[in-house]
Amino acid sequence: MNAIETSKLTKYYGKSRGIVDLDMAVGEGEIYGFIGPNGAGKSTTIRTLLGLIHLTSGSATVFGKDIVTSGPEIRQEVGYLPSEVFYYDDMRAIDLLRYSASFYDRDVKQTEARARELAERFDLDLKRKIDDLSYGNKKKVGIIQGLAHKPKLIMLDEPTGGLDPLIQQEFFHLLREENAEGATVLFSSHILSEVQKLCDRVAIIKDGSIIRVDEIKTLLETATKRFKLDLVSAPDPSMFTLSGVTDLAISNHSVDFLFHGRLNDMTKLLAGLDLVDLQVIEPDLEEIFLHYYQKEE
Amino acid sequence: MNVFLREIVAYRKSTLIWMASLAGMVALFMIGMYPAFSSDVEASKQMIGGLPEAVRAAFAISLSNFFTIFGFYAYFLSFATVAGAIQAMNIGAGSIAKEFAGKTADFLISKPVTRPKILTAKLAAALVSVVAVSLAFALAGYVAAQIATSSTGETVTTSTFVLLSLTMLLIQLFFMALGALFAVLIPKIKTAVAVSLPTVFTFFIIGMLGEILGNDKVRYMTPFKFFDSMYIINNTAFESRYLVLEAVLVVVFVAATYVLFQRKDIRAAA
Repeated sequence: MNAIETSKLTKYYGKSRGIVDLDMAVGEGEIYGFIGPNGAGKSTTIRTLLGLIHLTSGSATVFGKDIVTSGPEIRQEVGYLPSEVFYYDDMRAIDLLRYSASFYDRDVKQTEARARELAERFDLDLKRKIDDLSYGNKKKVGIIQGLAHKPKLIMLDEPTGGLDPLIQQEFFHLLREENAEGATVLFSSHILSEVQKLCDRVAIIKDGSIIRVDEIKTLLETATKRFKLDLVSAPDPSMFTLSGVTDLAISNHSVDFLFHGRLNDMTKLLAGLDLVDLQVIEPDLEEIFLHYYQKEE
Repeated sequence: MNVFLREIVAYRKSTLIWMASLAGMVALFMIGMYPAFSSDVEASKQMIGGLPEAVRAAFAISLSNFFTIFGFYAYFLSFATVAGAIQAMNIGAGSIAKEFAGKTADFLISKPVTRPKILTAKLAAALVSVVAVSLAFALAGYVAAQIATSSTGETVTTSTFVLLSLTMLLIQLFFMALGALFAVLIPKIKTAVAVSLPTVFTFFIIGMLGEILGNDKVRYMTPFKFFDSMYIINNTAFESRYLVLEAVLVVVFVAATYVLFQRKDIRAAA
């Protein structure tokens, strides 16, 4: 059984497009990345799965339960952290965490103990009022309230904003630990290096639809390579009109481009150049992402 | 139960302040002013009778019963209900609108609880606050009426006093339900007061205009005129048609609130 499965999931806000015919399957125990620029439909997908917004058509299940008819049951097993966190300013952090714990059918004391353990790990003073916390510390409260009840599915919607690099690292460690204990993670981000660091598989979303799903490894092993050339003399740009060459940048004696195509054709082109240095680099996820975006256009 | 308790705690201070204010005012008015008016009824009648009739009508002053303890209490009640209505609408609208204005709806609705349960808990907590304010007002009024009539020898009939006092609660229920409806109907309410003050005063002014113009049909248009104090004093009963109207409106407002709250999309905070 998949942790999340959607079938032609569609959400329109009036006439504006949210997501269209979105099909997604997240296996249990996966760390599934969800990447796309702002407005692509990442938040809409997560918010629809959580019942914060209502689907227009299609269907979705979480652990086999329908999101429309079994919302509260599903949310018993879900921990959620949105990109922007807002809590009750009049509460202390510990009160908020106790309030959060009171919604779950878990042992409240055990959940509170776990919350205290996480607070110590993230160096958060639980006695402080929410109103007095910095945004980064509010985000820590968000992480704790999302994970203290040991959810089976962790939904993270661009979660790292406001966290300093050290806390981000600790957060990622925590997610890996939770995943090792069986939790499924849905991680939405437009920061591709984050997804690259953490996820097993990644879905690329564009204009409300998923345009590609692949394992991170496969995406990185794609035939697309970055070529960096140093030449004896300034090259003639017309030499690089070979099909499959994109993102071309020529500066003095250096040439930089992405190539997706037959390597034999490229070696023929390179043979005609007076090379000082040649580097063939695996592109990072960002470059691949842009590649797919451009290809779709 | 957790949402209900959270709401009770969140509103405990404001509820206590409203209880103390209304109880204090009714006690002050009844104990401080009634003996002065009732000690020399003829002089008081002359003074108030000198006011233009339209002014007396606008302020619901009836010379025939103003100088009885119930008439005096009913007169104060006609203004105290405005305060009570504001409190009720503040809490009815505020308890829901604050989740949207403070962007905490994300937190609350992503928890394993249905929206109707959230709404029921919030409305129940608002009802507790409203009843507490009404009760404090009525109890203070009753004790004050006993003290104020100790020298005049008037009898304060409990049943009439309870019915008169119930008009406060009934008017509050109307505005609490209307406030809840507004909170789900009107997008981006920043503060409940911004909705409650204009709404309550609009209904109050409609009632005043009805009195000045002598138009009885206005009574159907504002809850401030649903419960005529003269009728209650004379019959020890409410006029059933207005009681039914009140009940129907409250049920419609609450039902519409449930439907709209259930359907509402909680868009991402930005």
